[in-house]
Amino acid sequence: MSEQSSFEEHGRRLFEASVENLDMRVRSRLTQARHAALDVSASPRLRFLRLPVWSSAAGVTVAGLLAFAIWVGGPMGQPHHTPTVADTQAGFEDLELVAASDENNAAPMEMLQNDIDFYEWAADKTAAGDSGNVG
Amino acid sequence: MAGFATLSQAWMAWDGPAPAPEDAVLDHTKELEKFLAEVERRAFRIAQVSLRDEDDALDVVQDAMLKLARNYSAKPSAEWRPLFYRILENGIRDLQRRRVVRKRVMAWMPGPKEDPDEEAVDPMENVPAGGADAPALLMQDQAMRQLEISLRALPARQREAFMLRNFEGLDVAQTAKAMACSEGSVKTHYSRAVHTLREQLGEVW
Repeated sequence: MSEQSSFEEHGRRLFEASVENLDMRVRSRLTQARHAALDVSASPRLRFLRLPVWSSAAGVTVAGLLAFAIWVGGPMGQPHHTPTVADTQAGFEDLELVAASDENNAAPMEMLQNDIDFYEWAADKTAAGDSGNVG
Repeated sequence: MAGFATLSQAWMAWDGPAPAPEDAVLDHTKELEKFLAEVERRAFRIAQVSLRDEDDALDVVQDAMLKLARNYSAKPSAEWRPLFYRILENGIRDLQRRRVVRKRVMAWMPGPKEDPDEEAVDPMENVPAGGADAPALLMQDQAMRQLEISLRALPARQREAFMLRNFEGLDVAQTAKAMACSEGSVKTHYSRAVHTLREQLGEVW
């Protein structure tokens, strides 16, 4: 066995051991999730109840505008500071992650839709000009 | 109206294939259950390594199971594994995107900044219980933690390639399907991941 495959084998064994040692709470949650999925598979498909699918082009545009607004603007209530190279690089990596779109996936629009409660809360908080604790 | 030789033909002309007989549905459900039971724990650990959060990992795995069952369970069972991991990896990426956007929005907010994803981890939380094998288990646990830390430091695509190939045991073609990229890219990502991990862990492992 080569040195590389021995290294890979060691990693795989460690991973398998960590899988075997999963606690009962996690195992139970996974079993529940599996049963929920099987229920879905066994029940007839109700296509008419599905939410409308956003057009991916519109989704990317809106998400892009939102991302641009957030990235270009600075944080509120913080003294201005000149961005460092590390700041800029981290910002680009984050932007790449957010803007990336996957095949078979409505991202990033779906991602924004899923978090709609959070954005409503954030908008309320900002509008109220709350200077107290956040979270 | 043309006559139909069988009820099945009439059904297909009206709205797709005829419903499967009950036995076939039962067999199919059993096969799907077997598949999900087989992958669920490894899928959870893979999600946990990427997301660093148990509940988020459980949510992503549950979502992947539901999507597979809802949208792809009619596909041949041989295709389920790469499809499932593709859904899972998309879910992981979605959650990571949400975290990034939330972090940015939080930075805009007035008041003290809190990052819900940066909760302090109790170092004793995952220490194995005592017993004859306790030292060995502890060493195993520490080695896995080192591997997880190094995996998280890898670029996302390299991490995905390593976990799908090494942890889940997908072959190159299946990994390429799961990652929605070419087999050549999988080989490159995997080879770079192994190289980096070996450099980082070779001494301490």
